[in-house]
Amino acid sequence: MTRELLPGARFWSATTIGAALLLISACGGSQSAVDAPRSVTVYVSTDRVFSEPVLREYQRQSGVTVNAVYDTEETKSTGLANRLIAETNRPLADVFWSNEPVRTLVLKARRVLAPYRSPNAQGIPDALRDPEGYWTGFSARMRVIAYNTTLVPAEQAPRSVLDLADPKWNGQAAIADPRFGSTSFHVAALYTVLGDDKADEFFRRLRANRVRVVDGNSVVRDLVVRGEVKVGLTDTDDVNVALVAGERIGMVLPDRDGMGVPMMPNLVSLVAKGPHPDEGRRLIDYLLSADVEEQLAQSEAAQIPLHPGVPGPKNMPPIDTFKPMTLDFAKAASRVEDVTNRLATILGL
Amino acid sequence: MWRAQPVRTAVIGTALVVFLVSAVVPVVYLLVTALTGPAPAYKTVLLDVRQLGLLYNTTLLGVGAAVFATAIGVPLGIALARVSLHRKSLVRLALSAPALLPPYVVGLAWVYLGSSRGIVSALTGRNVLSDWTYGPSGAILVLGLVFYPLSMLSTEVAMRRIDGRLEEAALTVAPPSRVLWRVTLPLAAPGILAAALVIFVLAVSEFGVPGLLRVRVYTTEVFTAFASLFDFARATLLALPLLALSSVVAGIAVLLVGEPLATMRRSTGAVPLVFDAWRRIARIVLVAVVVVALGLPIAILLREALGARSVSAVVGGSGRAILNSLVLSSAGATVVVAACIWLGYARVRAGRRLGQVADVILVVLFAVPSTIVGIGLIGVWNRPGLLGAVYATDAMFLLAYLARFLPIATLIVAAGTRHVPLSHEEAAAVSGAGWPRTMARIVLPQIRLGIAAAWVITFVLAFGELGVSILVAPPGESTLPIRIYTIIANTPPSTVASLALLQGLVIVAPLTVFAAAASRREGR
Repeated sequence: MTRELLPGARFWSATTIGAALLLISACGGSQSAVDAPRSVTVYVSTDRVFSEPVLREYQRQSGVTVNAVYDTEETKSTGLANRLIAETNRPLADVFWSNEPVRTLVLKARRVLAPYRSPNAQGIPDALRDPEGYWTGFSARMRVIAYNTTLVPAEQAPRSVLDLADPKWNGQAAIADPRFGSTSFHVAALYTVLGDDKADEFFRRLRANRVRVVDGNSVVRDLVVRGEVKVGLTDTDDVNVALVAGERIGMVLPDRDGMGVPMMPNLVSLVAKGPHPDEGRRLIDYLLSADVEEQLAQSEAAQIPLHPGVPGPKNMPPIDTFKPMTLDFAKAASRVEDVTNRLATILGL
Repeated sequence: MWRAQPVRTAVIGTALVVFLVSAVVPVVYLLVTALTGPAPAYKTVLLDVRQLGLLYNTTLLGVGAAVFATAIGVPLGIALARVSLHRKSLVRLALSAPALLPPYVVGLAWVYLGSSRGIVSALTGRNVLSDWTYGPSGAILVLGLVFYPLSMLSTEVAMRRIDGRLEEAALTVAPPSRVLWRVTLPLAAPGILAAALVIFVLAVSEFGVPGLLRVRVYTTEVFTAFASLFDFARATLLALPLLALSSVVAGIAVLLVGEPLATMRRSTGAVPLVFDAWRRIARIVLVAVVVVALGLPIAILLREALGARSVSAVVGGSGRAILNSLVLSSAGATVVVAACIWLGYARVRAGRRLGQVADVILVVLFAVPSTIVGIGLIGVWNRPGLLGAVYATDAMFLLAYLARFLPIATLIVAAGTRHVPLSHEEAAAVSGAGWPRTMARIVLPQIRLGIAAAWVITFVLAFGELGVSILVAPPGESTLPIRIYTIIANTPPSTVASLALLQGLVIVAPLTVFAAAASRREGR
């Protein structure tokens, strides 16, 4: 006999409750929030743990309701850039805050963004601002080589990205999946600077060296901390989180005297046809302020201010002590698709 | 048969419209866009030599997970149906709990166990498991352990519907083991095969576990096309082989399962075969499965979570997201069930061929990658006017759950409705009852179990849903999975483990209350 888990009366009661929940949920939601007086909607690809406090502070100071949509790690979901592209004809977002150039430049090419030159962009190097005004960089990270300080003496740590292909790091080096996120930008930059032949050769040697390709930069850091690999390519904010926690990790700015250290600023852009363009511009002004750069510098993100005179993060070298990689962001971003396909074959992804 | 035919047409027609609008239109929209847009290079995408590798890996993953889950689930289902156990509802909940954990979370636990610096390597001093962990074998293990409850529950339901008099008659001439093998299992086979098909589709449409364990399958390729190339057309085209594979497997399953045999009517109340002689073995097996499938991953995650420094702040800030998830998942499950009751009924009462085609379509829709569904929903609903008024509200979550889970819920309810004889409805019609009254007083009460199962499964799936939700969530709103996955980008593994346990706990808690209540009713 079928077990009677739900006698009739209770079943219909549950159905009624469910219908009530339906009404509550469907009538709720943020349509009212999006349309609230003085509100702004920002899509954020920068790590939530770093960006949320900044946005909360803006909301507190300005009284403007900030509706933020955060992104997941790049390998967990297809991300906000795709959402922005899909919403092109009728965007919900006013501002896009990205943590690496590729997504922003793709959106510019797809006509998702609108130009805005903020007065607070004064002082930011020209190379880190779009000449047409579609994006402005602030608070930069760098690509670094992290190493386990117990397993690798500081003087023996690799000094160049190209050193990761050295047989002495066979099976002991890790990189994040180069098809996504800041690593995709870094590899595109390498192809732009080295040329296709040299870059292809480097990645072939990397594969022969049994480099581990993992989900993300934070995973690279964790592998280095745990000693599963000795060295890894990651970002400064990922390393800093471990440094603050007292983990056994060190970092090297690769190629600081050679081809230069890849720098990735945060990028902020105005979304074309956004519902609140004026509030969007005000938020951009805030994000480009020295106060925000100082806040991000002092946080675990340890991001390097681009405005002169803003105190930098504790664990990071000042920007004037190393040579940054000279790079045309637009050119590097235009290589991403081709490089992604090449590396899918070379690295067997 | 009934005088009130328009009522039936209206109700089923409405459900069909809901199905088409929510589940079909977004996918068709994206397909049409992909196929009619700028030249998407079909040959480059679909005839790439890598496609063979993707086909092999995807098929291996689906078949492997289905076989493994069935091998675990069927004996457990037999035990639940045919062995007397104390507090069976709680036992059932414990055995079903692995399905409540997000597959990615379970995969993470096994990585902590089997990686080169995992627990096994630390204990043995040798890296014995990492090659096996990262690859198809690890993915099959994880997905099999997560999805076996579907096979278990389906087997139990199928066995409870077997006419016990058949087994009693067979017992007079054969031992219990032979009766189980030659009579009981063949009668339960349609339900077992149906569950295996669902597990296959769940496995091949899963992205998190193959991505984590580095198995190249269609879903990871679709993901790459979206996430690194921002190429909607390419991503949609890459999904076509996956949908084709699902339709082939679904077609085979539909032909094998067929319509139920005449003897598969509801049990008449005769006491079914009870394998009490095997109770001791059953208990040992049940405990072993709970330990391996549930206890071990939770223990591993707890071990990681104990190292968390600042969990309270993260957990404390999740209150609203937890409430959102509970309300939205409950509402979503209710909406889905409200539609799937009529769709499931219509599928069962449809002609044989039409019903089989419907089954294949439902399976294929369920296999559509979540990102395609999400992008399609944006394309359809983010427009001026009435459609746009719906966009940017929480109603988009409900549409997302309808799009993703209405197909599977319909299959579940249809499986239950199959066992309601048409003769019951005919008798009611002859007695003068209209269709609405017949449904309310005769059909629906008989399929309550299927409806409840559809609601619970939809609730669990909706609660853990991320791929579509993150694309359509109104700005400022968040569900627990969205909150967790947006936080873990730069948090230590210990915090990740804590949040993963939180998600599992929030799903399990209300269902535990439900099972405890049911268990108390059992004891009365």
